[in-house]
Parts: sequence; C-alpha cells; structure tokens
Amino acid sequence: MPRDAQKNRNLWRMSRWLGCPPTGNSSEIWIFRIGSPLGWIVVPVILLIIWQIAAQWLNQPWIFPPVSRVIGQLVHPFREHYASGSLLSNTLISLLRVLLGFLLAAVAGISLGIAMGSIRIIRSSLEPIIEVLRPLCPIAWLPFAIAVFKRGTLPQLFGFGYTRTVFDQVQLGMVFVIFVGGFFPVLTNTLDGVRGVRRNYLLLAQALGAKRRQIFRHVYLPASMPMILTGLRQGLGLCWFVIIAAEMLPGAESGIGYLLMYASDNAAMDIVIAAMLIIGSIGAFLSLVMRKIMSGLVRWHGKEI
Amino acid sequence: MTHGKINNLLKEKPIALELRKVGKVFRSDTGPKLRALENVNLRVLQGEFVTLVGATGCGKTTLLNLIAGLDTADEGNLCLGQGLRFGDNIAHVFQHYTLFPWRTVVSNVSFGLQMRSVPRSERQARAAKLLASVGLEGFEDAYPHELSGGMRQRAAIAQALAIEPKLLLMDEPFGAVDDSTRNELQEMLTNLWQENQATILFVTHNIDEAIVLGDRVLVFSERPGRIAREFKIDLPRPRDRMAKEFTDLFIRIRTALSGQLD
Ligand SMILES: Nc1ncnc2c1ncn2[C@@H]1O[C@H](COP(=O)(O)OP(=O)(O)OP(=O)(O)O)[C@@H](O)[C@H]1O
Ligand SMILES: [Mg+2]
Repeated sequence: MPRDAQKNRNLWRMSRWLGCPPTGNSSEIWIFRIGSPLGWIVVPVILLIIWQIAAQWLNQPWIFPPVSRVIGQLVHPFREHYASGSLLSNTLISLLRVLLGFLLAAVAGISLGIAMGSIRIIRSSLEPIIEVLRPLCPIAWLPFAIAVFKRGTLPQLFGFGYTRTVFDQVQLGMVFVIFVGGFFPVLTNTLDGVRGVRRNYLLLAQALGAKRRQIFRHVYLPASMPMILTGLRQGLGLCWFVIIAAEMLPGAESGIGYLLMYASDNAAMDIVIAAMLIIGSIGAFLSLVMRKIMSGLVRWHGKEI
Repeated sequence: MTHGKINNLLKEKPIALELRKVGKVFRSDTGPKLRALENVNLRVLQGEFVTLVGATGCGKTTLLNLIAGLDTADEGNLCLGQGLRFGDNIAHVFQHYTLFPWRTVVSNVSFGLQMRSVPRSERQARAAKLLASVGLEGFEDAYPHELSGGMRQRAAIAQALAIEPKLLLMDEPFGAVDDSTRNELQEMLTNLWQENQATILFVTHNIDEAIVLGDRVLVFSERPGRIAREFKIDLPRPRDRMAKEFTDLFIRIRTALSGQLD
C-alpha cells in the first residue's frame, strides 16, 4: 500500500511538472496550467540565459540589448522617457483606449447580433454592408476617424475640456478604430450563436408564456452566450492588436505602441523590447481573464440535453 | 338520481377544447407537401384525462403544437373552452428539450412565473414547493445536465405546473425512462391531476400507459393523422394492470393500432 501511495505521489509530481493533471477535473487543469514550472519558469529562464550570453557576445546593445538592461527598464516603470512618458503611463493610456472602445463594440455587437440573428428583415438588409466592411482592416479607418473626430478627446466630448489626466489621451478617433476592431468579431459570433438557437427552446419559452421581448432576454441571450463570449474574447484580442498598430502610426503622441516607436527612433532597443514584453503579457492576461469568465458563466456549455 | 339526470350532468360538463375538421399541411422548400393531419375531430371536457396513441410520424406532436398555439392549422377550426388562453394557462411538456440547459432546476421551474412578473421571492417559494411535490427537493440548484432522465421529466412537469395550467399537453413525457420509474411517474401524475383538476392531453407510444392514465384513449391513424378509434376507460383508479378488463382493453387497442399498421 505505501508503495502504491508513493507511486501515486510520483505520478502527481511528474504530471505537475509536465503541466497536465493525471485526472480530468477542470479546476485542477486550471491550477496546473498556471502552475506548471516547466512552461512558466524553466523554458523562459533557459531562453533568458541564452539571450544574455548572446547579447554580451555580440555587444551591440542598440540592436540586441542584454536581458539585464531590459529588466532594468521593466523594474522602473515610472521612469519618464523624455517627452513620451513612462512605460506605465503609456500602458495605462493604451488600456484605457482599448477598454472604452471594446465596451462600446461589445454592447453594439451583441445587440445588433441578436437583432440580426432573430429578425430576418434586419439581417437581410444589413448583411451585405457588413460583409463588405468586415474584411477591412480596422487601421484603414484611422484617417477617416481622425478626419471626423479631429483631435477630440473623451473629456472634451462631455464638455470638460482639458483635465490634465490620462483621459486627455483618450482620443475619440483612436476609440473609434478600436470599436471597429472589436465590433465585427463580437457581431459575427453573436449572430452565429443566435442563429444556432434551437427552435425547441423558443417554443418552450413561448409555451410558458414568454412575450417576444422576454424571449430576447431569456432565450436568445443566454442560449447564445457561449458564442457571444467567444466573440468577446476574439474581439478583445483584436482590439489589443489594433491599438498597438494605431499608436505606432505618425500622428499618435502617446500609448505603449507610440513609446515603442519613439524608443526605436532613439535607438533605445531595451525600451522597445520591454514594451513588447508588456504588450504580450497584457494580451495574454486579457485572454486569460476572458477564458475564466467564460468557464464560470456557461457551466452548461456542451452539456445540452 | 335518475339515469336521465346523470346524463344531463355529464352534458353540462363544460368543454375544454374542441377541434373540428382540423388539417395541417407542411410545405418544404424542396420536397413535396406533406399532409400531417386531416379531418381531426376532437372534443375534450374540462377535467378530463385523454391519452393519445399512434404510430410514429402520424402527427401527434403536430396536433399538440396546434392546440398550444405554437403553430396554426391550415383547415378546420380549433376552439378553446372558456377561460383558456394561449401562452397563459395552457402548458406543454415537450417530447425533447424540455428544460433550459442554462438555468438551474429551480429557475427552470419558475420560468413561467418570471415571465408573468411574479416577484423573485414568491416564485422561488412556489417553485420549491412544486419541486417537493414531484420529489425533487434538494436538487433546486442543479443544472439539467446533472439530473437523470427521470428527474428531468419530473422537473419538466413541475415547470409546466408552475403556471397553474387549466390544460396540460404532454408529449411522450415518460418516453426515455425505465419501467419502474415510468410507473412512479404515472402515479405521481395521476395524483397531481386529481389534486389540480386540470385537463390533460397525453401522447404516448405505450398502450399500457395510455390505459393506466386515461379516461379515454384515442387511437390515431397513420399519416395523414386522424382519430381512428376511441376507447372509454371506465376502470376505477388506481388501475390494476392484471384485471381482466384492463387486459381486454389492451388487446383491443393493440388490435386497433396494428389494424392501422396493415
Ligand atoms: N416543422 C415541420 N416541417 C415539415 N414537416 C414536419 C414538421 N413537423 C412535423 N413534420 C412532419 O409531419 C409528420 C408528423 O410529425 P409529428 O412530429 O407530429 O409526428 P409524431 O406523431 O409526433 O411522431 P413521434 O411519435 O415520432 O413523435 C412527420 O412526417 C414529420 O416529418
Ligand atoms: Mg412526436
């Protein structure tokens, strides 16, 4: 018996190391995915060591800075880089733009998706326009957005003028482009979800006395929630892509993408790489959060009866 | 009481539902049109328990959908008795997808009440009571996928009863459970029916079930569906499956059904 227990413990230790649980319990998978030391510590440390050795050997920090200098930037997130602000403030600005644009996209995409999915005339009248606008890269909207919104910012929209806060950096044009980026994935996924709602659930609701409006809220919305959440996750990921690209274009004057570009113009490759690491980590974090929300919100998914 | 008086009383029993020459045709985009129902005549009295048997595909589900107002007839007319209204006091226990998978058992049962804007605390209390009456206490917060087939049927019945229906339509509700569970559910349903005095129209493939439950058994013809035969079940409840009257009826209904199959 003790031998069996020992074997079991070894199995657990090994599986923990490899990042896959010996049993299929989902909550365990969750812990293991975060907690596997192999993917989260060992491999990154090896890569960092190779990087550090290679960089020192090359000795051209403006092309390939050593890890130590990049980490030096990351541990001083408040350090101001000339006129362009710090890593932290620029990250916050980018996040603020993304969250605002994404929120608008989510509300608009879900509502229109449900309307289009359940009311035929709305779908047939809007589908062609959407099919043409959807493949358009959101960045292509930037010149148009800037022309329309000029340099207007969020506080100005509400009549506050210049507030001396990060909100002054939330240009409406940027928010609009983010909105476009998030809108289509949310819309198309919601639409697919709504169109896939089983007619039986509509009949059931109707038989139990649900009125048309109640069916939207209590059947279409929850029944397509798995697809809606997939759309939101894709949409948020795309928003984070788009904001970096938009901020790297001429005309931008803040944001983590801008800082990356500015640092590159000044041959500060350590800041460039620090910014890249921040962008990647935030993207991963956002996706993780969305996944977590998803698994909590739709426990029933894939278990229809 | 004289015989004539009893007859009068029976006559005066109000009608819950009347169908005259009802027909239904499905037109698909590709295939030819399909006659699902033809010349269906049916009168159900209030408080009656009517069971319906018929071959698969003969239009039983279609008929229930017409009566529930979920579909419209192409021919004939359908009259609901006094006080009966679509989407109000006609409940429907479906053949498939009887519960919303995204709702817990208790909020499935209280769905109808929620649609009627009953306050949350009251509908929770009423749902809990109903769940107890169908033997599901303790499973309030489970999701449908966590229940067994029989438990799902109990939950679906509670969900239908929650709207306090005057007419209860049931489409093979006990189709997917084993025999002993089926018997339990039949007993439970009979008791609930006697307490609530609802009218029930019950579809089944199981002749035994039709006789155990019904005041009357209707035998459907093959497609296009019509009511081919009708059997009155005058046996006392609870019904004894071993009684000679029961087995005689069983054989007669069986013969009527297989006559349809020839
Ligand atoms: N929405 C529909 N569109 C087209 N045809 C349909 C539709 N619903 C039912 N039918 C057809 O009508 C006929 C009757 O179907 P129905 O579901 O009423 O049969 P049923 O008696 O309930 O069968 P079962 O005992 O297998 O449940 C079938 O041939 C079916 O193919
Ligand atoms: Mg059927």
